[in-house]
Amino acid sequence: MKPTKNPCHSSDATAITRRRFLQGTAGLGAMTLLPMQVWASGNTLRIRTYTEPDNFDPVDASGFGEEMLYGCIYRKLIQYVPGEQWGYDLDLAEKIEQRTPTEIAFTLKKRQMWSDGYGEITSEDIKFSFERILDPAMKSSLTQDLGSLTHVEITGTHSGVLHLDRPFSPIWGIALPYLAGTIVCKKAVEAVGGRITTAIPPTVSGPYRVRELRTGDRWILERNPEYSGPQADFERVDIVHIDDALTAEIGLEAGNLEFTRVSPGSVLRLRRQKPAGTMLTEHPSLYYAWLGMNLDSPKLSDIRVRQAIQYAIDVPSTLTAAYSGSVESSTGIIAPGLVGHRNNTLIPPEGDLEIARLLLDQAGVSTLNLRLDVLNTSVWTSAAQVIQATAGAIGINIEIHAHESGSFWSLGKESDGDRWKNLELVLNRFSMAPDPYYATSWFTTEQVGIWNWERFSNKEFDQLHQDALAETDNTKRHEMYVRMQNLMEESGAYRFLTHESTANLYVSNVVPATRPDGLPLIQLFRKA
Amino acid sequence: MSFRYTLAGRLLRDPLAVLGLSIIVLLVLSALFADHLSPHAYAELNIANRFASPSLEHWLGTDNLGRDTLSRVLQGGRIALLVGILSVVIAGGIGLLLGTLAGFGPRWLDNTILFLFDTMRAYPTIILALALATLMPRGLSTVIIVVVLTSFSEYGRVARTQTQSLREHEFIAAERALGASSIRIILRHILPNILGPFFILVAINLPVVITIEAGMSFLGVGVPPGTPSWGSTLKDGFDHIRTTPWLILGGGIPLILVTIGFTFLGEALRDVLDPKLRGER
Repeated sequence: MKPTKNPCHSSDATAITRRRFLQGTAGLGAMTLLPMQVWASGNTLRIRTYTEPDNFDPVDASGFGEEMLYGCIYRKLIQYVPGEQWGYDLDLAEKIEQRTPTEIAFTLKKRQMWSDGYGEITSEDIKFSFERILDPAMKSSLTQDLGSLTHVEITGTHSGVLHLDRPFSPIWGIALPYLAGTIVCKKAVEAVGGRITTAIPPTVSGPYRVRELRTGDRWILERNPEYSGPQADFERVDIVHIDDALTAEIGLEAGNLEFTRVSPGSVLRLRRQKPAGTMLTEHPSLYYAWLGMNLDSPKLSDIRVRQAIQYAIDVPSTLTAAYSGSVESSTGIIAPGLVGHRNNTLIPPEGDLEIARLLLDQAGVSTLNLRLDVLNTSVWTSAAQVIQATAGAIGINIEIHAHESGSFWSLGKESDGDRWKNLELVLNRFSMAPDPYYATSWFTTEQVGIWNWERFSNKEFDQLHQDALAETDNTKRHEMYVRMQNLMEESGAYRFLTHESTANLYVSNVVPATRPDGLPLIQLFRKA
Repeated sequence: MSFRYTLAGRLLRDPLAVLGLSIIVLLVLSALFADHLSPHAYAELNIANRFASPSLEHWLGTDNLGRDTLSRVLQGGRIALLVGILSVVIAGGIGLLLGTLAGFGPRWLDNTILFLFDTMRAYPTIILALALATLMPRGLSTVIIVVVLTSFSEYGRVARTQTQSLREHEFIAAERALGASSIRIILRHILPNILGPFFILVAINLPVVITIEAGMSFLGVGVPPGTPSWGSTLKDGFDHIRTTPWLILGGGIPLILVTIGFTFLGEALRDVLDPKLRGER
């Protein structure tokens, strides 16, 4: 029988047939998928930051951008524990205790190493790290975070005592586990001239080290093989700078990110339907937002006018418009869960237009034109428009002035020109560390013209702020901070809006570690 | 002369010109009568009814503050036309004046004005807008200033080239020989002859100007928050694109229409006023 030739198999092994071409193409396609599969297996963690860290030296740190980076590459005596309750865990410290109200003794774990041959971490490094922040010559922005810390006494290679000149309660919540508590290598910093300005830090101690910085794009970290603790789960971490939350959300859905904070406007939609293979978590935030009134403005000098504005603002409606109803009204500047949180505001969140009209009548004001300065983002311009509408109902005409970030954050600073003189109403939002001291410190008399844009000055408030710093009894401390927020609201200069919330979206093959306020502790992220 | 050979008659024989004109007339009328045509007050908030889909009550749905999108789009047309017409008139006026002077005046004046034109053309519109927005109060006047600064040189260049071409003609030389002053020559002979190409440029530039206003508002450096504008409607749509598509459509469609309308009209005008180009489209 004559063999039938299979039309699909050529007898010539080198000939390119249609089928071979398709098979080859499919093979090439499969090869291109290979790196993606490696990626998908979870060796790289790509996490979005909205604020770009811009240096390696804690003495120059400015905010959470650096904290995310430092958490990965440096260590502290103690660090925040992930979860829903604020607390700390031992990191470099084997033991740390408040020996007296002004002394904190610590003992370091042994054989905790710096990378690149810089040896063991000792109490010399601890002393050097804290005291350089205290040194006025260094002009560190973190000096205030260390409060009344005066110096560090070395009692042994692995032990020492932090000395305070008076009790300073926030040292456990702000100083030690946050930016100012970051430990750097004395030998390495001195070798580079006293300040780390190198493209890559000379030595690290955390679970990751810096591989590359792509300015404006990302920081690329890789596993630190010399880390003294348990090996990090991820071989590589990319801290990707994406300013716009919506872009980041799309990036995560497209598989380009593993973790991102999402915008308030997306929360309701994501609650209803998350992208496949993702998880959404929501956390109470520590941020606080408010409408401030410039007490030095002639138009706002009558407290009844200020109170009328307080009563005219319907906080829940404002929040529904600005945050799509995904956040709650706040009662002050101290978030729930912290010492000093108030249970209620003096003026109901919904306000009362009748009282507002009455107050304006009493002040003899029939119409009033005011300007409202806001950041140029959807949240703030939406909130401003609701406030504009409700204030219009009592005869107050508000003109909204939206500013880009750089312009906005210098509005009330006397050192940045005369624009502070034109401030009348301003929608503002500050970040916060987990101690009430951090919130009230921006509203003291000495902050007038710096961060205190309302130019609020109250002797009782200033005194309470100082007293609360040294108060170690939490019940008394709580009462002090409640009183301080009452004073702020009674001045008529503040209408508290919200603490916002932090919503995070992440892929389900990652187990994120976040502080109670939802901010990421990247160094503790794990694979699922 | 019969209607057939007038400018209007020739335009009306071109279907694209008719389509362009129809769109423009529709937009102008809707902007002029926006107060009467708007089904709701454009600033009326209804927080409980945010992101409503199109319905009989709200033909284009509602925005992130529960405002009627159609009413805001109609009012936005006023801003667009106001900015467009004012900017083009001011920029065109400046350009015409400087361009004619450059084309008719001595060499040193020509070089100086040309240097000014080149300098202004070198600034990217949006970068200039962002820079000015930090120095000036946000509002329509800033938008108009930005548009004028970045576009007058274009009109100026056209006016200069046309003037230079005309000044060498014999009839201008004859006028000079008869003792006509430079001002008379410019006003009586140069200007009327350069207006044709100038109006073509105006028609083509109007949608560009309107798009610049929308772009500035989209970037947050245009009209103040709360002021209805196609650009700010687009921006609201972009911010909430995952929630509703209607805001993007509401802000985008008028921009597309106005661009199409003025482009068709501009091209038709060019064909009519410049017979050499007729049929080359």
